[in-house]
Amino acid sequence: MSSTESLITHLPNDIGGRDADAINMEEHPMLPWEKRCHALLDVLATHQIVNTEEKRRGVEGLGSEIIGKLTYYERWIVSAVNVLLEKRILTPDQIANKTKEIAERKL
Amino acid sequence: MTLPAQPSHDHDHDHDHDHPHPGVAKDEEPYSYYANLELAVRELLIEAGLITADEHRRQIEILDSRSPLLGAKVVARAWTDPDFKERLLKDGSAASEEMGITMYDGAHLIVHENTDKVHNMVVCTLCSCYPRPVLGLPPDWYKNKQYRARAVKEPRAVLKEFGTVLPDEVGIHVHDSNANMRYLILPLRPAGTEEMTEQELADLVTRDSMIGVTVVKSSLAQRNGSHV
Repeated sequence: MSSTESLITHLPNDIGGRDADAINMEEHPMLPWEKRCHALLDVLATHQIVNTEEKRRGVEGLGSEIIGKLTYYERWIVSAVNVLLEKRILTPDQIANKTKEIAERKL
Repeated sequence: MTLPAQPSHDHDHDHDHDHPHPGVAKDEEPYSYYANLELAVRELLIEAGLITADEHRRQIEILDSRSPLLGAKVVARAWTDPDFKERLLKDGSAASEEMGITMYDGAHLIVHENTDKVHNMVVCTLCSCYPRPVLGLPPDWYKNKQYRARAVKEPRAVLKEFGTVLPDEVGIHVHDSNANMRYLILPLRPAGTEEMTEQELADLVTRDSMIGVTVVKSSLAQRNGSHV
């Protein structure tokens, strides 16, 4: 297999059957924002605004570097944002303005 | 877990308390770009009238209410009620609905029964699909790449890491979940539990046994952290 072939035949999420280390059974407690994020994605799925499959595909579309570096719920929210932008439900300006406003509100 | 760097703390508003308060915002969580992003998306969608704040709070309540205790009740019912078990194996979603457990987003609950000949286990190689309405949130190891990568390739070695060693003649079926198909394992009812009530049986059933990485033991004393 050529050096790049596996990048094409297996997208970053598609890891079933690969070699990997021993299973790390350490649990981390869910952070409050992670629970809010989970609940938000559930509500979006209920309304079919971003469904489970779109969210999974959105994570896949982040590419292997981002997938490798972001935590689980960080991937979820970035995936959801990208799907919402693709569907033109939200615009980049709306998100930029709102995150700026929130950051200022929290100071 | 690694959070992004704390924001610089050089703003000049009045403080009525002593420093330091290392990056802790008013909601007592460390600053996180991603936490703010979640809040931004939620507020924008609420403002657009696409979702409501009530729905979001209600969903947090639902998340808090789900746990493996629900799955354990389903398993204990199946062990004690052959008709229910038949319905459960035929249509897991409909049978768990009888017990007030509702699936979501078109996901179907599919139940596989362990026998003397076949042991079943569940994985989601692509992401983290999991029967949340009956088991709550998945453990971190279920979402991590080690389990996802190896469960479909060397299930016996994986099971051994969970302390589960099965006879060679027992076949292992690994079920790879997706957004629409969520699997629950109906563990083998342990010998010596014939006199137990449904509730006593439910107390024996662990989360990991319903994922299929362990088996149910007949004695509470064999369980770690059991409390009756």
